[in-house]
Amino acid sequence: MPDRTASNFQLGMSGFLSALIPGLGQFIRGQRYRGVSILLGFLVMLATVYWYANPIWYASPIAIWLWNIWDAMSPRARSILLPVFFGLIAAYSIGWRVVGIDFSKASLSRAVAIVRPMLRPDFIQAKREHNAMWVNVQVPCSPEPPTAIREDAGRTATVIPNCGPVGETMIVSVSGMWPNAQTNVVWQNPIGNPMMLGEGEISMLVLTTDDTGSLTTAIRVPSTALVAAPDPTLPQFHRVYFDQYRPIGGYELSYIGNEVLKGALTTVAMALIATALAIIFAIPISFLAARNLMSGNPITYAIYVVMRTLLNILRSIESLIVAIVFVVIVGLGPFAGALALAVHSVAALAKLYSEVIEGIDPGPIEAIRATGATWTQTVRYAVIPQIIPPFTAFTIYRWDINVRSATIVGFVGGGGIGFLLIELVRVNNMRGVSAVFIAIAIIVITLDTISSRIRERLV
Amino acid sequence: MLKIQNLTKTYPTGTQALKDVSFDVKDGEFLVVIGLSGSGKSTLLRCINRLIDPTSGKIFWDDTDITAAPPAELRNIRRKIGMVFQQFNLVKRSSVITNVLSGRLGYVNPWLSLLGYWPEDEKQRALKSLERVGIADKAYNRADALSGGQQQRVGIARALMQEPKVILADEPVASLDPVLSHSILQYLEQLNKEGITVICSLHFLDLVHRYATRVVALKDGIKVFEGSAQEIDRAKFKEIYGEEAQEVRAASL
Repeated sequence: MPDRTASNFQLGMSGFLSALIPGLGQFIRGQRYRGVSILLGFLVMLATVYWYANPIWYASPIAIWLWNIWDAMSPRARSILLPVFFGLIAAYSIGWRVVGIDFSKASLSRAVAIVRPMLRPDFIQAKREHNAMWVNVQVPCSPEPPTAIREDAGRTATVIPNCGPVGETMIVSVSGMWPNAQTNVVWQNPIGNPMMLGEGEISMLVLTTDDTGSLTTAIRVPSTALVAAPDPTLPQFHRVYFDQYRPIGGYELSYIGNEVLKGALTTVAMALIATALAIIFAIPISFLAARNLMSGNPITYAIYVVMRTLLNILRSIESLIVAIVFVVIVGLGPFAGALALAVHSVAALAKLYSEVIEGIDPGPIEAIRATGATWTQTVRYAVIPQIIPPFTAFTIYRWDINVRSATIVGFVGGGGIGFLLIELVRVNNMRGVSAVFIAIAIIVITLDTISSRIRERLV
Repeated sequence: MLKIQNLTKTYPTGTQALKDVSFDVKDGEFLVVIGLSGSGKSTLLRCINRLIDPTSGKIFWDDTDITAAPPAELRNIRRKIGMVFQQFNLVKRSSVITNVLSGRLGYVNPWLSLLGYWPEDEKQRALKSLERVGIADKAYNRADALSGGQQQRVGIARALMQEPKVILADEPVASLDPVLSHSILQYLEQLNKEGITVICSLHFLDLVHRYATRVVALKDGIKVFEGSAQEIDRAKFKEIYGEEAQEVRAASL
């Protein structure tokens, strides 16, 4: 701290000036940087409190102001710990308000509703066989409705009456099914949409067949049976389905599980293609962006500066945003995602590659030239061995990063497992979501391990 | 016979590394170049195989003008001049045998060498060179897995692959533990006795006394001494290295 020897009058004067404008006293006494910092700190704090915070936080700029007067009137500069402390306290409390930390909106029941299905990821299911039987029924009635009896492979299904309007009660029965087995009774409209027949039409009607494999029950024609019909007065065939399932031992991939696997594969492939595309562009660019090669004359140096600037700009744009652009240009799907990743990777890889080139050891080049080698031999034996291992290491590292990013670009339509994830979130299929989470974790951890092993060996 | 005539090198930065240096090197000599760091020793050695092009002056090898040689001829000249470096200049990530084989690049089919293919007899030659410097067992290790002394021996094996008539050694022991200096220089001495001319820059005076058949001293790019090693006494040493120089004896370390 510089010594500020001064008379009492001068100290009083500087205190007075600092009281008028914070930092002025210090500024006049020669500590210009300190004076300006105090003024800026005070103004920023004042403005922040004015814009956002509770009036009580005016205490903070006031405290800084008081400290500033005290500092100005002291023969020696005081430690800045105190005003920094005031500033931080105010910054954190204002930050708290801005972020809107508020646990009162949290709901345990919602948390449970989300998390409980996630504990049972929908990935595999028990293998089972399906025994299905159906019978046609006409809605509404035509003048001469066909009989609602159907026989198939020793099974018989009937509906009485054989036709009726929406809301009509009907007696349905089936025989020849598996005995003592759970049976779902489902309505299907002419275009194949299933409709539930349970309580309030929001649950499945589930019954059990008797010892002979028969069951009989009353149903009502669903209120929504004719919703999709172009003309509700036109009689059409609907179906009543009887579905039985029984386990046959072993497990198989569920539908979602299959989708997750496909998504995972797509994601890894997207990252692979994106990285490969990036390498093709990054290698030539990296030579143009290597300082040691390009600083020879003003023209090449200008190219170097332009390249570096372009790469920095490109690298600062998140691939998620680039993906939005590519989704518009090439349409939804993994191709858009791969292109977005490639753009970002070109910039990142070109920078890493050019740093490798800048760090090349000129010694071996000179040694190989001294053996009478040609230019190409020199490149092959002195340059390539030096750059290939770090190039490979950086490329694998980039692929690793691209796999992570590929899961994210799916959110905006870039395809792969991210796309599946956002779809499952939309339909609130939390069991599927958790299967995706697990798949992403496995992919990322596996690739991370593999890539770091390989990189350890290379470098 | 190597004739260096009025050799001058001025770098683009304006530094004059060599000023009108002339001397002869007879076949079979062990010529040591001494001088402070920056006195032009490295530039001089690199001008001989034209890793650095001199600004003016000529270098004749027997009747060939090295300084005027076109690229193809220059490569033929270079392959007869082995070079050993202070920093070894091995490709650290490549195997020892690949480093040694690369000394043969001037002789083999360039296309096959680009593919990384080496005929069996060249591999045998490389193993023999490594045997001569006593590290045949390290042939398939990565070069940077070796100690400094071993790396320099790989450097000598690489130079041997060229079947050189001349070996240029640019401070071959300056990066090594002083106790290893003799082991490296003894290999060079051995090669010298087999008829290879050695031009070597050195720092330690007692190494100069022990190995040199003749000495050239440079100071600020100017040749300030040429003669036998015995002629360099303390007074001469101070003259070359300046008043503040203190002789360090490698043997005493």
